[in-house]
Amino acid sequence: MNNKRQTVNGAKRWLSRRHWNYIRSLVYMLQASEYIIVDFLKWHERVKDFRFVEKRKHLTFTPKTVILFTLGWIVLLATLSGAVFVFYTIASPWNYLLAALLVFEAPLIAMVSLLFFVICMRFAQYPVEQFFIARTKKHLIAHRGIKIAIAGSFGKTSMREVLKAVLSEGRKVAAPGESYNTPLSIARFVKELKGDEDVLIFELGEYYPGDVRKLAQMVRPEWGIITGVNEAHLEKFGVLKNTTDTVFELAESVDASRLYVNGESELARARSKGGNILYTRSGTEEWQVKNPNTDLSGITFTLLKNGVSINVHSSVCGLHVLGPLSAAVHIASRLGLASHEISDGIAKTKPFAHRLEPKQWPDGVTFIDDSYNGNPDGARAAIEFLASLQGRRFYVTPGLVEAGLRIKEVHEEIGKQLAKAGIEKVVLIRTSVASYMESGLQAGDFKGEILRYDDMPSALAALRALALPGDVILIQNDWPDQYA
Amino acid sequence: MGVYTKNMRKNIAVIFGGKSAEHDISIITAHVPIIDSLLVNGKFDVWPVYIAKGGSWYADKAMNNLAFFKQDAWEEKVAKMKKIGLLFDNGLELVWPGLLSKKVKIDIVFPAMHGTYGEDGSLMGLLRMAGAPFVGCDLAASAVAMDKVLTKQVVAAEGMPVVPYVWFTRTEWKEDKETVLTKAKTLSMPVFVKPVHLGSSIGMTRVKNEKELLNAIEVALHYDDKVLVENAVEPLIEITLPIMGNDKPRVAECERPLNKTEFFDFNDKYLANGKKSEGSGANSAYSEVPANIDDDLSNKVKELGVRVYKALGCAGIARVDFLIRADTKEMYVNEVNTLPGSLYHHNWKKAGVSNMELVLELVRLAEDRFVRQKETTYTFHSDILQKVGSSGKVGLKV
Repeated sequence: MNNKRQTVNGAKRWLSRRHWNYIRSLVYMLQASEYIIVDFLKWHERVKDFRFVEKRKHLTFTPKTVILFTLGWIVLLATLSGAVFVFYTIASPWNYLLAALLVFEAPLIAMVSLLFFVICMRFAQYPVEQFFIARTKKHLIAHRGIKIAIAGSFGKTSMREVLKAVLSEGRKVAAPGESYNTPLSIARFVKELKGDEDVLIFELGEYYPGDVRKLAQMVRPEWGIITGVNEAHLEKFGVLKNTTDTVFELAESVDASRLYVNGESELARARSKGGNILYTRSGTEEWQVKNPNTDLSGITFTLLKNGVSINVHSSVCGLHVLGPLSAAVHIASRLGLASHEISDGIAKTKPFAHRLEPKQWPDGVTFIDDSYNGNPDGARAAIEFLASLQGRRFYVTPGLVEAGLRIKEVHEEIGKQLAKAGIEKVVLIRTSVASYMESGLQAGDFKGEILRYDDMPSALAALRALALPGDVILIQNDWPDQYA
Repeated sequence: MGVYTKNMRKNIAVIFGGKSAEHDISIITAHVPIIDSLLVNGKFDVWPVYIAKGGSWYADKAMNNLAFFKQDAWEEKVAKMKKIGLLFDNGLELVWPGLLSKKVKIDIVFPAMHGTYGEDGSLMGLLRMAGAPFVGCDLAASAVAMDKVLTKQVVAAEGMPVVPYVWFTRTEWKEDKETVLTKAKTLSMPVFVKPVHLGSSIGMTRVKNEKELLNAIEVALHYDDKVLVENAVEPLIEITLPIMGNDKPRVAECERPLNKTEFFDFNDKYLANGKKSEGSGANSAYSEVPANIDDDLSNKVKELGVRVYKALGCAGIARVDFLIRADTKEMYVNEVNTLPGSLYHHNWKKAGVSNMELVLELVRLAEDRFVRQKETTYTFHSDILQKVGSSGKVGLKV
């Protein structure tokens, strides 16, 4: 039976590569893989049907993709024309053989051509990129604003948003709105600055060793925040030490007394040095967090410093955000913001899009969108928050991606956490990591129910049919197309 | 959810649309929650069977998605589809005729039709003839419930309270208006004038004086050939109660419609506040569930609801509507609906029954009834044909 299924799947894949949509799929896959050829090839190997790779997103036509799309079709049609030419010009039987080879392998030739073109573009882009980096460095040296850089395996965007909201009460703050964390995207952001900003906040993305150093040298931050180190992107880094080394490249550019490190992240705390400021959900050395409480309306807590207390509320959910808030408060205080400005700033922090973002379905079901949160620490925080809520609780996940060699342990741990938290329903998407989570649930003596679906849209449709008023549904991570 | 291969799945036909004023509502009911729940459950191969306003039948899986019916010119797209036929060959089969003909044996039918030619028992009669198990009330209960006068007669005969009413046919009205008006004037104003067979308050008028009565009757007769005139209950608490089950019915929550206009009309029911009821089926945000009435009244409503359900011989699902005088708490049975819009899933959810549980339970109830119906013998062997003479007389009273 399995052999038959494998043969059918193989035939479907072979035929789908000869479908007219194949070129579009290739271009989409290149775009979604950010033109990283290794990632593209891994994805290409996994695809079962090339007609349907655009599930969650669709190909965006940019000058680059238009060129690739056109090139793909030109190569494909040229190869087929070549087959006709060969058929009529070469002597039998070689004409049959060669023409058939060209016809059948035209998709492969088109794909190789596209990859070759992407490599050529990269070489061509290099000097352009260097030019933009140099120009950005120059702009930033001339800019009067304080530069704060954020690095870490997770939580960078949340940290940026918290910091921006808090500092904006007393200072003019600029920070890129999206995940602008590569040299070119940062260059784009810097180009749009007006020059009168007091504070500039940057996210430094890390995919390979040296990435953070390169960005830090470009930005030249005076202040730094390390949000933590975990298994996110471990597939690229290989071992956690490499991730830690890369994230802590930021420390090379910032004075130790202005480097904030997440004390709740074991690896980050272990690498921190004397003089660094550790922040946790209990606060920092100067600012203590007391009486924290969280629910769907956000978090409420008291900040204490030298006998002065401030009662604050943020509509961001989850106690895990107390750490970033404490770091932001500490920095705000050192930059001279008054207590009332700090509390007003915290009050203006809002739930971040797709990160523990609560929504209400019309039938009284609470839906928590944590679909952009795909790292072990984020999952732990989400489970902790879900466990604190009332009602029948559903935890929906396809698992995490890029956990590398620790993929099994990471997912077993999530299963154990879910069991320990007493979540009533765990909804698993049938991915390569689902069995690890099930093992973890079993090991944790999970008492609830496990539901399984083929993909996230099916799971969401089913949940609409299964949910009752008062239920809470949390969506943890949604795999992009390249991992589905 | 488990993985069900095609061979393990049951073929279920969800029939909707039809020659009815509630054609569009039926499309919504069919999808939310019925088809949506059946599809995600994975145990069924769902065949959407759409009956066009003209009466043609179509079955194409593209119609499993409600979005199909929201696109422009969807009716033209339907008209281009191959019409299907039905075969009653030891059950029900859908047949796509033509060169590439196809047949699909249907294991169970889920009627999702409101109003005439569907909810009124017509479809149930057809399915009984086919010998196919189907969800919901059977022919007799559906036919009685569709006729507001027959419903009141059955309910009153069983000793349950109904408001004073009179009724007449179009012929009676045409032949002798005076007598009909005299009959109607025996009631105290205000009264409601209603077409007997229509739902969703179509053609219904609240009449405050005799002057308005004539016009209201003409309006009602425009939609139906039988008209009911009944006393208005004021001050009014309107309560509606969904019920599910065969022999042992269970009730959902008492629900109080939040009337925006003088009475609860089509727009209140389906387009409250002018908002589309997208994603919530045919009913959303127009009622209070559970109704804010005291427990004693709520229990009486539920008790009476079950009595009505049983008296009419309902099965599967139905909704019983009540009129209650707010000051005296006098309670009257108003009418019975054998296919509540979108199965009143919003109410069942409040009662702790999810869409999936509701739909699957209704399928189970239908199968259960079908098994029990098989225990009944409908034919018997006789030698009457041998005894019959050439004149056709056998000397027996038949």
